[in-house]
Amino acid sequence: MTTYSIPSRQKTLLLSGMVIGLISLALTWFMDGSGHHMRFWTNFLHNSVFFTGISLMAIFFYSICNTAWAGWHVQFKRVWEAMSMFLGVGVILMGIIAAGLLFDWHHLYHWADPASVESDSILQHKSAFLNKGWYLVSVVLIAVWFFFAWKLRGFSTAEDSQGGVKDFSLHIKTRWWTAGFLPIIGFSTCLVFWQWIMSIDAHWYSTLFAWYSGASLFVSMIAMTILVLVFLKSNGYYPNVSTEHFHDLGKFMFAFSIFWTYLWFSQYMLIWYSNNGEETVYFNTRQDNYPVLFYGNLIINFLVPFFILMRNDTKRKFGSLIFVGLVVIFGHWLDFFLMIKPGALHTAHELSGHGGEHHGHAGAMPDAHADVAHHATEAAGHAADAGHGAVSTFEAGFSMPGFLELGTMIGFLCLFLYVFYVSLAKANLVAKNDPYLSESLHHHV
Amino acid sequence: MGKLNKDIIFGLYDDETDLLSAVESANHDHMDIYDVYSPFPVHGLDPILGLEESRIHIAGFIYGALGTLTAFLGMTWIFTKDWPIIFGGKPYWSVPAFIPITFELTVLFAAVGMTVTFYIINGQGPGASNPILHDRISDDKFCIAFDTHSVDEGSAKSFFEKTGATLIDKKHI
Repeated sequence: MTTYSIPSRQKTLLLSGMVIGLISLALTWFMDGSGHHMRFWTNFLHNSVFFTGISLMAIFFYSICNTAWAGWHVQFKRVWEAMSMFLGVGVILMGIIAAGLLFDWHHLYHWADPASVESDSILQHKSAFLNKGWYLVSVVLIAVWFFFAWKLRGFSTAEDSQGGVKDFSLHIKTRWWTAGFLPIIGFSTCLVFWQWIMSIDAHWYSTLFAWYSGASLFVSMIAMTILVLVFLKSNGYYPNVSTEHFHDLGKFMFAFSIFWTYLWFSQYMLIWYSNNGEETVYFNTRQDNYPVLFYGNLIINFLVPFFILMRNDTKRKFGSLIFVGLVVIFGHWLDFFLMIKPGALHTAHELSGHGGEHHGHAGAMPDAHADVAHHATEAAGHAADAGHGAVSTFEAGFSMPGFLELGTMIGFLCLFLYVFYVSLAKANLVAKNDPYLSESLHHHV
Repeated sequence: MGKLNKDIIFGLYDDETDLLSAVESANHDHMDIYDVYSPFPVHGLDPILGLEESRIHIAGFIYGALGTLTAFLGMTWIFTKDWPIIFGGKPYWSVPAFIPITFELTVLFAAVGMTVTFYIINGQGPGASNPILHDRISDDKFCIAFDTHSVDEGSAKSFFEKTGATLIDKKHI
């Protein structure tokens, strides 16, 4: 079986998953206590960013492996190439968000509201970057990533017919393109993650944020790769992808879970330590109003993979890999939920006037400065909570992911997998003329 | 430097594939190999030599957990009971501030503990005898060694000649 063919049952399953997603999205448009259809738009943004990010990380890691002259991945590199094809859909998804921003369909971003900017010196200060023009640039950047992914896949499939151990020209070309692509990803991901997610909490900033969310997506991508490969292998494809390859993927999942935790902690620690009100407000809100998600995030994404994958044999067994893979994908989806929802809900409340008296922004003294005073002592810190505590009551779809959020995720997941499998079926499963194929076949850890 | 008081007969091979097939034929002939030396780890050598997986990582985990507890409980005791100091207006029991030190002590305990355990179990460390059979074992040659107590010289020699060793020598260590 050199090519993948999608069984009609799988096709039906994925399509019905997408229908579930569409229904959930449609329902969130109406079942929304926050106002401004914020639940719909945050769910849309959340899943678009998450799955577009996974496909970006696939081509990112593919580029790293290529640049590093690695050979172990070559057997299943078509999996990463096929995953990266979702970037094309990502352009459309994020394009819808950007169009919504241009034509004021949604109020995801506090900084896009002219009246708020008018009375807020911090937002005025940031308006050089946080504006609609730069948001459009971020969508263009996905198109650039897609262009690279498409080009790299083109080289790879062309190699099947004209390459081989005698002719390295396409391989060398791929290496040039991947080496050029890496710095582009490195700088552009900072820009887009700041724009898409971090700017929801428009007053807040963290220089680590792009790395942090990038690590989150990277772990999800590795977990997704493991799950997809297990699925393909159990259906008789990829007979030569062995325990050794899964061991390496398991190591990446383990290592990058720790890396994610390291970044999570670095971000938290620096902000906690410096106790700068402008920055602590982000964690203050999450710790006080979203404690289950906040601490659960660390348990799911750090403790579970850390203790389960620590041993040698758990990285070599499908059972433990599948379990951790599923847990970690869901965990990082929750991580993104927690990045996006609290800030968006705050914005919704503010636009509805609930938080208005608190966020008065009367002059050049925004609430951040008030927070500094509040945080001066521990006892007074709770007073600041009360000020920010506009969301301490339960809000469906914001305080905790509800069924509609899960339905939306299933829809986007099925869309992702559909695009993935269709792309995978278009080319040979194994890049048979890649010069490193033999190394991959004889991979041994 | 104490002597092991062993008479070793050894053969050098040019290539790791020669080494692997030689080890396999030694297994086949039931010859008791004293040791195998190579300049780098040879894939697939451990299983045919019958070496079981090291259990040093279990010791490492225990040492690491010990380090975690030492650091965390130690700091908890120091900063809440023994000598409470306010740093930057933070509470006495400031968990985030303890994490980096806890991490460092975990690594330190695991690393030092594993090293010491490894040395003790293998009889290495100060005063141990580490005879070198041939200089090029650390360069580009692969070596199989027999103890003359368990394998007699004649059969060892013919074994080395049969399996393509490029140099055969004896050494008292």
